[in-house]
Amino acid sequence: MRRHAALIGFALQACSRRAGRTASMMVGLAFITWLFASVVFLTDALRHEARLGITELPDLMVQRTVAGRPALLDATHVDSLTAMRGVESVTPRVWGYLYVPSLEANLTVVGLTAAPDASLVLEGRLPREDGEVVVGATLAERLGLRRGDQVALPAAERYQLVRVVGVFRAASALRTADVILAPESLARILLGVPPGMYTDLAVELRVADEASVVANRAADLFPGARVLQRSLIERTHALTFDTRGGMLSMLLLPALAALLLLVWDRLTGLGEVERREIGILKAVGWQTTEVLAVRVYEQLIVALTGAALGVAIAYAYVFALGAPGMAGALFGWSSLYPEMALTPSVDASVPLSVLAAVVFPYVAVGLVPAMRAALMDPLDAQRGRT
Amino acid sequence: MSVQLVDVRKRYQDGRRTHEAVAGVSLTFDAGTLTVLAGPSGSGKSTLLALCGGMTTPTSGDVRLSGQSIVSLRDHHRAQLRREHVGFVFQDLGLLDSLSLLDNVLLPLVPSGQVDGAARARGLALLERLGLQQLAESRASALSGGERQRGALARALVTSPAVLLLDEPTAHVDRESADEIVRLLAELRDEGKVVIASTHDPRLVERSEVSRVVQLRDGRVVS
Repeated sequence: MRRHAALIGFALQACSRRAGRTASMMVGLAFITWLFASVVFLTDALRHEARLGITELPDLMVQRTVAGRPALLDATHVDSLTAMRGVESVTPRVWGYLYVPSLEANLTVVGLTAAPDASLVLEGRLPREDGEVVVGATLAERLGLRRGDQVALPAAERYQLVRVVGVFRAASALRTADVILAPESLARILLGVPPGMYTDLAVELRVADEASVVANRAADLFPGARVLQRSLIERTHALTFDTRGGMLSMLLLPALAALLLLVWDRLTGLGEVERREIGILKAVGWQTTEVLAVRVYEQLIVALTGAALGVAIAYAYVFALGAPGMAGALFGWSSLYPEMALTPSVDASVPLSVLAAVVFPYVAVGLVPAMRAALMDPLDAQRGRT
Repeated sequence: MSVQLVDVRKRYQDGRRTHEAVAGVSLTFDAGTLTVLAGPSGSGKSTLLALCGGMTTPTSGDVRLSGQSIVSLRDHHRAQLRREHVGFVFQDLGLLDSLSLLDNVLLPLVPSGQVDGAARARGLALLERLGLQQLAESRASALSGGERQRGALARALVTSPAVLLLDEPTAHVDRESADEIVRLLAELRDEGKVVIASTHDPRLVERSEVSRVVQLRDGRVVS
């Protein structure tokens, strides 16, 4: 123990002796780690946000397709579902997408069927009368809307004047960025859904664990029935963010490869000073394993410091700054990117696995050159022969 | 302790050419002697010193310390032997410029974790003996040629070795410093150490303190 403490102390001194190289390696590692850790932190935080939203979803959502395209449902569908064993309640819903030319984007219009979580509203109140809406924070910002403003939206048949009575909290932006929450009658006008017809049916079950059984029965209830389970949506969200995170990580691989090549180049090309130092150490009685240990400790010091720095910067970049420049790629490909502060949600294994993914390759790449250096004959090392 | 070379040869591959730095040398260096290896540059003096200290292995022949061959020893055993029994002063002195003089002196003790208060006291005592105690915390890069030479000697002595090898110990110092170094070497010889120094400095060859002069040329002993 005392022996290794002495070798670590010497390795620390060696790092400071080669301050320029040490700093450049640390900066390179910190940069790569920052990139990787940011993707991981962001993906993890988005999964967390998505999980929060999914808890508010009904157990089942039933839609109808005709010729493979979404079709509206009516009261008969509601009745037949309500009559099914295991079904607690069925809420018919009206929602859909509205293209707004000035934004060149689709907005999500949601008809207010039941009182949503009031904590979602940042400013104002929920719609009470026809012509009143609550909008997402991102949408409000893009259109320059404030509470009390009026805006004309391109409804199915004509422009419809609506008044903003509330704006969703930015914290819920992942779910509400492009949402217009309107009374059901206004939603029907905006989307062109006739009275008595619905976009889908939200089904609550008596026992949530029976979702797949009820889903199978509901699918046979009428032709073209399409039943979505909450658990499947949860999995889809996770897969979506994992896929996007994975794609982004893949794009970063060339950067990691370039850094490892640089490390290999720097460590294999022993400088005159280092060769001389190894020669001195071995001449004064250092064993090969001791020279090797010092070089590995040097690499560990550089790698752990650089990677820890990268993880810390990534944490601040994602959770304090909102990952500008990177968040868009993971939030989605919508024209309206959610403007939101992510809630710090990091499993201890995340920074540890990021550290391992960067530190181990770095130390492994440096091991062979370190071994070659340590095996040098002291006289050869002194005279520059390899 | 004695150092014995038995028909030692050392060849280096220099591209396609093979260079024989030491060509069949047999010598014995006894305890309590100060031997000077003299000869022009390239005569094999430094290689012979390295062979004596087990810092390189001969291409053929044998090197023995107190009768025990060190050629067949494993690398870590040879390193341990160097650490415990051999002190070496390089031609370029081999001080690490960014370390303090005292840290340089204690360098051989680092891997065994022995750099404690007692070791530092021993290092300081050595520096005091060599007139360098005021410079213990100075960086090696800030020392003069003579001070560096004595500092390197202090490091070679910190493990109290039985064999002391010095490569061109008076090469970069003035006459006064050279005299001081020879006086120190004579003291060490009188303490019973095997002292071997290589040089092409006639001042050292002619000194009365020197027990024996071995003349080398083209890797061979000529006298």
